[in-house]
Amino acid sequence: MGQSCCPNDGCRVLVLDDEPLILLDLEFAVEDAGCVPLTALELAEALAIAESEHIVAAILDVSLAHGQTCAPVAKALAERGVPYVLHTGDLDRMDEAVRKLGGVLVPKPTPAAVVVSRALEGVTQRQGA
Amino acid sequence: MSSDRADQAPERPDEATKAGEAASGDDRAFYDAGGAGQSAGPQRASQAGGAYDDSAERFLANHPDDAFIGASGVLFEQAMAQTRMAVCLCDPHTPDAPIVFVNRAFRWLTGYEEHEIIGRNCRFLQGPGTDRSAVARIRQAVENEDVVVVELLNYRKDGSAFWNALHLGPIYDAQGRLIYYFGSQWDVSDVRAARADERHARELARELSHRMKNMFAVIGGIVNFTGRSRGIEVEAREINDRIQALGRAYETTLDEASSGSIEVGQAIRSVLSPYDPDGKRIHFKGNGLRSDFSAVSVLGLSLHELAVNAAKHGALSSDGGEVTVAWQKNGSSEAPTIVIDWIEQGGPAVNPPENNAEAPTMGIVDRMLHMARGNIMRDWHPDGLRARLRVPLREDAV
Repeated sequence: MGQSCCPNDGCRVLVLDDEPLILLDLEFAVEDAGCVPLTALELAEALAIAESEHIVAAILDVSLAHGQTCAPVAKALAERGVPYVLHTGDLDRMDEAVRKLGGVLVPKPTPAAVVVSRALEGVTQRQGA
Repeated sequence: MSSDRADQAPERPDEATKAGEAASGDDRAFYDAGGAGQSAGPQRASQAGGAYDDSAERFLANHPDDAFIGASGVLFEQAMAQTRMAVCLCDPHTPDAPIVFVNRAFRWLTGYEEHEIIGRNCRFLQGPGTDRSAVARIRQAVENEDVVVVELLNYRKDGSAFWNALHLGPIYDAQGRLIYYFGSQWDVSDVRAARADERHARELARELSHRMKNMFAVIGGIVNFTGRSRGIEVEAREINDRIQALGRAYETTLDEASSGSIEVGQAIRSVLSPYDPDGKRIHFKGNGLRSDFSAVSVLGLSLHELAVNAAKHGALSSDGGEVTVAWQKNGSSEAPTIVIDWIEQGGPAVNPPENNAEAPTMGIVDRMLHMARGNIMRDWHPDGLRARLRVPLREDAV
C-alpha cells in the first residue's frame, strides 16, 4: 500500500476481471499503490488496452465469461515483455495454454492490495535488473 | 493320484463326471450369486448348458503334447471350470492366431457357443465402438510377446456392448517356447460407469469450489471499497480478513462436498497459510480428525485472531518466532471435544494480558468459542502465549 511502482508515479496497470465488483476493488488498490488502473471487463477490452497503452504490469483474471480465458492477453503482454499476474479461483482448471505462458499465480481470494503488490514486484525486479 | 490321472488322461470321463457332479451344486450357486458382477443375467446363465464345464478337459484331451500335464492339468481343468473370469487361449503358430480354448465364463460373457468361438481370432468381439488405438496396443504386445492390459469396448453375440478389461500375455513351455497366448476378459462396464459418475461429481465439486472462492473474492471487494469510500479502511480490512479466513476454512471442504464434514487439520492449515507464506514458522500436529461445518467456522476464525495477534505482538512478529498448532479429539465418548493447542515460542517477551492492545479481539475469540459451547484457556508463559481451545465435536452431524 502506498508503494510506488516506479520513480514517476502514474504508471499504467491493466486490470482484467469479468466480475465488476472485484474489478472495482482492484482498481482502488492500484490507485492506492500510486498507479493508474486501466480496467477491462472483457477479453476484447483488455486486448485493446494491451495494444494501445503503455502499461508496466497487468492483473489478469484467468477464467472469463463465455468460456474464454485471458490467454490471448497474456500472450500479447509476454510478447511486449510486460509482467503480469494470473489471478484465478481455480488453479487446477487453468488452461494449459495459460500455464505455458508463465506469470505469477495469485489464487483468489487474495486481498486486492496483495494482488497489486505481487503484480508490481515484477516491475521493481525488472527495473532493478 | 495326480500321476494316475495324467497317465489315464485320454480315458477319464467317469472320474471327471463324478468330480463334476460334486462340484455342480456349489458351482451353480456360485455363478448365480456372482452373476451380477459379470453382467450375466439368467438368460446368459442358461446359455452355459450343462452343469459342469468340461471345456478344459476336452481341450486337454485334444492337446496331449502341451505343458498341462499331471497336477497342473487337473488344476487347469478345475480352475477353468470354476473361475468367473472369462479365459481363452489362442494358438500363435496357426495363421491368424485362432482361439483354441475358451471356458464357460467366456461363453457367458460373450453369449457365443463354443463352436462359434473356437477357430476364430479374438477380434470377432470388436465392433464399431472399439477404440483402434487399444487394438493397436494389443497387436503391438502380441508382436513383442509382451503382457498387455487394456480396456476396450467389445460386443456380445446379441450386439450389446460391454467394457472388457483384457489381460493378454504369452505362455511358454518348459523349454521357453511360445505355445499359447492367454487372454482373460472381465466385464468392467459397471466400474467404468461408476468412474464416470465419480468424475462428474468431482467436476461439480470443483465448479462449486470455484464459485465459492469467487464469491468470497467479491464479498472482499465489496467490504474493501465500502471501507475506502467511507474512510474506514482499517475497520474494513479487519472485517475482510475475518471473512477471508472463514472462506479459507471452508474452501478445503468442497473437494469432498458430499461428506457433510470437514477435516479439521486441512481447515486449520488453510486458515493459517497467509501467516506463514514460506511454511516454516507454523508447525501443525494432528491427525485426520473431522467435524461438522459450524465448529470449523468458529475454530477457523479463532485461530485467525490468534494468528493476527501473534503477527502483531507475539511469536510471528519477530524473526525466529514459531507457533505450534496441535489438534486432537478429547473428552468423553458422550461429549467428544476438539482440543486445539496453540503454542508460541521464540517471540518477544510476553506482555501481561490485562493492559495490552489485543484485549478487544481476544474478547471476541472468547465470545465466539463460548457461543459454540466451547472455551479458551490462556497461559501467558514467558516463552510465549500458550492457549488451549475447546469446542464440542459433532462428527455425526450432517
